[in-house]
Amino acid sequence: MSGPHRLTCRMTRREMLTMCRNGFGGVALLGLMGSSAFGNMVAQVALPETNPLHPRPGGLIPKARSIIFLYMDGGVSQVDSFDPKPRLARENGENPYDKFAVDATQFNSIGKILQSPWEFRRYGESGIEVSDLFPHVGQCVDDLAVVRSMVADFPEHTNANYFLHTGIGIQGRPSMGAWINYGLGSENQDLPGYVVLDGGLIPPGGLDNFNSGFLPAAYQGSIFRAGDLPLPNIEPQEPTSDLQRRKLNLMSRTDRHLLGRIGHADHVESAITNYELAYRMQASVPELTDLSGETEATKKLYGMDSSDPNTRIYAAECLLARRLVERGVRFIELTCPNVAADRWDQHSNLKEGHELNAHAVDQPIAGLIRDLKSRGLFEDTLIVWAGEFGRTPFAQGTNGRDHNPSAFSIWLAGAGIKGGTIYGATDAYGYRVTDRETTIHDLHATILYLLGLEHEHLTYRFSGRDIRLTDVGGNVIQGILS
Amino acid sequence: MKKNLTRYRSIWIALGFGISVLGCSSPEPVPALPDQVDFNYHIRPILSNSCYVCHGPDISTREADLRLDTYAGATARRPDGRAIIPGSPKRSLLIQRIQADDPEKRMPPPQLNKTLTGYEIALISKWIDRGAEYKTHWALIPPQKTGGNRSIDEHLQEKFAEKQVTPAGPASRSSLIRRASYVLTGLPPSPGSVQAFERAESPDAYARVIDSLLASDAYGERWARHWMDLVRYSESRGHEFDFTIQGAWQYRDYLIRAFNEDVPYDQFILEHLAGDLLKNPRRNPDYGFNESVIGTAHFALGEGKHSPVDTRIDEADRIDNIIDVTTKTFQSLTVACARCHDHKFDPIPTRDYYSLYGIIESARFTPVPILSDDYLESVETLIHLNQTLRSEIARNWQSSMKTTPAVAVSQVNASLPIVPDTTGDWEFLGDFRHGTRGGWIPDGVAFRDAPLHGAPLIMEERLLQVTQGVASSRQISEGLPGALRSPTFKLDHDSITVMAKGYKSALRLVIDNFQLIRAPIHGALDQELSSDALRPYQFDVSLWKGHKAYLELLVGTYDKNRFVTDQHMLTVSDSSYFEIAYAIAYNDTAPSLPGTDYQNTPLGPAINAWAAEKASVAQISAINHALESGQLQRPSVGALIHRRKQITQRMPLAEFVTGMTEGDQVNSAVFGRGNYKTPVGEPVPHGFFTALDTAGAPFTKTSSGRLEFAEAIIDPANPLTARVMVNRLWHHAFGRGIVETVDNFGAQGSLPTHPELLDELALHFMESGWSIKSSLREILLSNAFQRSSGPPAGILQVDPSNLLLSHYPVRRLEAEAIRDGILAVSGQLNPAMYGPPVPIHLTDFMKGRGRPATSGPLDGDGRRSLYIAIRRNFLSPMMLSFDMPIPFSAFGARNSSNVPAQSLTMLNDSFIAEQARHWAEHLVNQQHLELKDRIVHIYLKAFARLPDSNELLEAESFLNTEAEESGLRPEHVMDSVEIWAAYCHVIFNQKEFIYLI
Repeated sequence: MSGPHRLTCRMTRREMLTMCRNGFGGVALLGLMGSSAFGNMVAQVALPETNPLHPRPGGLIPKARSIIFLYMDGGVSQVDSFDPKPRLARENGENPYDKFAVDATQFNSIGKILQSPWEFRRYGESGIEVSDLFPHVGQCVDDLAVVRSMVADFPEHTNANYFLHTGIGIQGRPSMGAWINYGLGSENQDLPGYVVLDGGLIPPGGLDNFNSGFLPAAYQGSIFRAGDLPLPNIEPQEPTSDLQRRKLNLMSRTDRHLLGRIGHADHVESAITNYELAYRMQASVPELTDLSGETEATKKLYGMDSSDPNTRIYAAECLLARRLVERGVRFIELTCPNVAADRWDQHSNLKEGHELNAHAVDQPIAGLIRDLKSRGLFEDTLIVWAGEFGRTPFAQGTNGRDHNPSAFSIWLAGAGIKGGTIYGATDAYGYRVTDRETTIHDLHATILYLLGLEHEHLTYRFSGRDIRLTDVGGNVIQGILS
Repeated sequence: MKKNLTRYRSIWIALGFGISVLGCSSPEPVPALPDQVDFNYHIRPILSNSCYVCHGPDISTREADLRLDTYAGATARRPDGRAIIPGSPKRSLLIQRIQADDPEKRMPPPQLNKTLTGYEIALISKWIDRGAEYKTHWALIPPQKTGGNRSIDEHLQEKFAEKQVTPAGPASRSSLIRRASYVLTGLPPSPGSVQAFERAESPDAYARVIDSLLASDAYGERWARHWMDLVRYSESRGHEFDFTIQGAWQYRDYLIRAFNEDVPYDQFILEHLAGDLLKNPRRNPDYGFNESVIGTAHFALGEGKHSPVDTRIDEADRIDNIIDVTTKTFQSLTVACARCHDHKFDPIPTRDYYSLYGIIESARFTPVPILSDDYLESVETLIHLNQTLRSEIARNWQSSMKTTPAVAVSQVNASLPIVPDTTGDWEFLGDFRHGTRGGWIPDGVAFRDAPLHGAPLIMEERLLQVTQGVASSRQISEGLPGALRSPTFKLDHDSITVMAKGYKSALRLVIDNFQLIRAPIHGALDQELSSDALRPYQFDVSLWKGHKAYLELLVGTYDKNRFVTDQHMLTVSDSSYFEIAYAIAYNDTAPSLPGTDYQNTPLGPAINAWAAEKASVAQISAINHALESGQLQRPSVGALIHRRKQITQRMPLAEFVTGMTEGDQVNSAVFGRGNYKTPVGEPVPHGFFTALDTAGAPFTKTSSGRLEFAEAIIDPANPLTARVMVNRLWHHAFGRGIVETVDNFGAQGSLPTHPELLDELALHFMESGWSIKSSLREILLSNAFQRSSGPPAGILQVDPSNLLLSHYPVRRLEAEAIRDGILAVSGQLNPAMYGPPVPIHLTDFMKGRGRPATSGPLDGDGRRSLYIAIRRNFLSPMMLSFDMPIPFSAFGARNSSNVPAQSLTMLNDSFIAEQARHWAEHLVNQQHLELKDRIVHIYLKAFARLPDSNELLEAESFLNTEAEESGLRPEHVMDSVEIWAAYCHVIFNQKEFIYLI
């Protein structure tokens, strides 16, 4: 809760209700203060301790306050991005069965060894190699810790997506953003604590990737779309805001009357308070997504002037992510734009598809890192770049790559991360992990650790068991921490 | 045992009150210990929560070879003493360790993050001091009546007396009728019924209200939806493409009918678990179709994985979900916890899990046709006509044979194609050339107990030949639903070839019970038969060597070739049929099969035998040869064929629900750490849970075990079944069960607040013939249900959570009740029942693969919410925000959360605004009502009560202000839809509208 960007106006529940009795005018006044008198600041109202989003400490000393999860839907090829394998070029076109044991794959159309269509080059002081898919991110490589030894449990998108998001490969479990809000609450009571910025692609498995599962609904991800109405039902039905306020005033008086009749009813009181939040969100959400106050230089940094419409979409997402970080939103996930060649799932035409996908995200991501650094937010913000699995070093058909859960690369940057690090390694083909195998549970344990949460202690009792995001696994990846 | 039960009457009261607020280091005084310390009610909860993870039933994680969940384990001699020495807490190592100052020694260890409170330690000490008596877990002791018959209110009164609590007085009649109406039907009462009840003077007026609500159609709709929460009801499979679960909605309709007809709960359970195996299935009273089999559809409502790379893992996950849902729903046991290790808290070993696993693995999912009486009568007529056909043809032949000699035929059967000879190893998977089925299981009306061969095949009104050397689905007619399935076998060859023919029918290889057969990996495992001559259909199965499988021929085909579609359904055409000669498995190339040589067969007896449906294979062969050679004529049977056509044209195409059918017995070994690749020991025989001492029907070595499993659940000696269900009813009546954790009656579940009441209700339930309506009637007629929701003075200090039910608990309505209530009030509720779901209204936020091609209407055609499509990947945002559970596990109790999306929906969603407008239009049309009367009418509709003077003033002032704001003269207020819509919108947004008071 630091930084000059926040106005804190702590109130008890009693005070809150008193304000409620005075009608919505009082709340409207707060909203007014938020929008005009204090620039882009939004009034903070401390809700009662019983509020599920009440901020609370995590137990460990946190390094990160917010997370931006750059989710690379479909599975980026590690051997074409962050894990160079010269041997693929030497043995291009040869039979993989002569080289190593080949696992069953999603399509079982096993082709020949396929060299990467891209050159790799060394960047920065660390000299970490990055392929020409990511020239902008390459410039930031000294800020990244690249984990080359990731494994996933599932070769199918949907299970792998659920696993990456919820720690279990089936539908219905809480997503990590929900777990984190359950563990820490939110620092901003005018916005949801877990925001998904929809770039166009909803991953296989659907919205359940972002759900709260058996945790209370307060923790579920809110999907923000691009455009004027980023959230459902955020725009009042009424032609004038005065009419809505008159209606709210009548509601508030009759609801109070009800409380007088039925006496003690905590949850009814909470439901009344909830309308206050909804009312404020009608103002805070449009204010959040209005980028008109951003300078041209900033917009350009992210690539909002790009000739590629998908770059512009992702640039807006990244910029919005920064604005959400500024407002104390805990967990922000970005989904990829829908480029002409599907998600990062190039079962064929690897070159064309990966290029389109990379071009959409490369500059915006680099812009985000630079912008966060220039604003002093980088050290409070953890950035995680990951897909649900990797791809095979041999072709599917002639020019695609199939799913490979046995090895893939991800990177982390920002709060608590030792930049310029390479962690773990794969075999000469980038097919299997040979050094410091790292699981999704390890990634989750690390994310929680950086937020100040001990992953073994963040539990919720469901079905008679104390369930964790990390199920029964998870070790913090010490080698990438600063 | 009896002694134990009488004891917990006096001790229960110490629990649940104030224990949790005390900490070990708290300076506050420790409350007085109860006189009697009971293992079930005081000790097990502590041990389970803090000790069992390392010292409980699960041997795999047991530390120091110490178990505390059994008397023998806890008192066993150890090198350093005994954990528990009954009568001597000081010498008991358990007490020493939980009190140790040295953090190295203190239990539980710090990494467990559990600390015992001083009160808990004192309880354990006292319990050891009094002899450390262990008891069977309360829920595993069969319910017993203690202290004679007592009413619900007498049970509650006893606790009031102990706590010196005076319960609240009766609720107002308007509150009561609204409460009863929502609880029983999920809809608000009509203004007429509210006023009638207010006026009624008869002493049984309330009972009559209850009876009429129980008798209404809406009752079944309401309770079907509760049940749908348990069986993770969905109409699609989720995962990548969200394919439709064929006929899921038929199961929803089945539930509505079953609740409305008050089908006895034991029958209801039988139908769910083994409805396909009942000797006398329940038939629909109106249409005559088999109701019982539809119950099995609940097994199929889980997630369905698209294109699993490992079908065995997929099977294990599907069965795990079924075990999870089934054991929670019917037994409130969390058996799925025993997948990887023995249950950590309850006496459920992994062997129990894999015993049930084998039972589910033995069953086969299949589309089950829903066939009415009319349909089945037509089938009977067709059978009869076929018999007439045979006798007429036979008569014709016999008369012609008087003039020509009845030549004996010698013939090598050449009708089967000969496949090339090889010496490679191969085996038959099925061989129908000789008139036997060899263990294949026929299913559906297409098959009956008639010989496999000899059906007359008619071409242009003349007999062409009779079927021979094949099993045929058109013995009666084409287009009749049916299936033929092989026994389960192991894939140990590279290839399978099936010699078959057919039209618009499917030949499928079902590996590891994987049914969602589609590209990219599995597409070739489902082949469409489209050939009117026998030909080989080949499967390359080298990828799946070692897996178990069965072959399945289905009348009809799956729509499986389009990718972006919500379809994966079986459809039948009126000419669909299949015939199969044999199926073989082999490596390299297919073997040659020898022809069949039939020696001189006398034709006369052959014709007689054929007419009587008793012809041998040789006789059939003789007839076909004689037809071929012209020795027998092809008589015209035009008139009969015409009659047959008339009948088949009247018959509708079969519709299907995905249900279950019997397979052969499969037993599963325990999977080490839940992984099938590491089986442990021999396969586990089928059986029931070892901790439950029910007789049931003995499990056999041959049957699939599902019926036996079902019978063990409904066995009156099963201690859980009745308790679990009455507790669910109580939960829905009061918002909290007598056992709060409605889906978990295990050691980690909560304890009953009124154990004797729970037992007595369970016994009444069974005595009433498992009548859900009687139990609900008993509960709703209690004073407890009729109490005011206003808390009595001082109750917050004594019973802050209202565990005693001194007043009726206020709670929010469920998502469906809120939406349905809005429709009822706005006058837009469409009373139509049953049928295919109304497509879900899609917003721009609902995206992703499998998105339905078109969006449904915003208002869902005014239908009740349970009729709106439930698609896993496209769930209704409004339903979700008001806590409809995501369909993945059993949810007997919903969350009742409070999130801004709820307020935003009620405030700004166009559906709500539209309904407010509809309501306003109705009101404005009611010209005869004065303004005040109109407000009274609004209050009666929305809140089932009259407005008080203050509320009337508020309303009038609001309406007048709005008139002013919009420049209307006061006399025009009554005609302004805008203004009344604004007011109705406010009504929907008042908390009273969405709360049950």
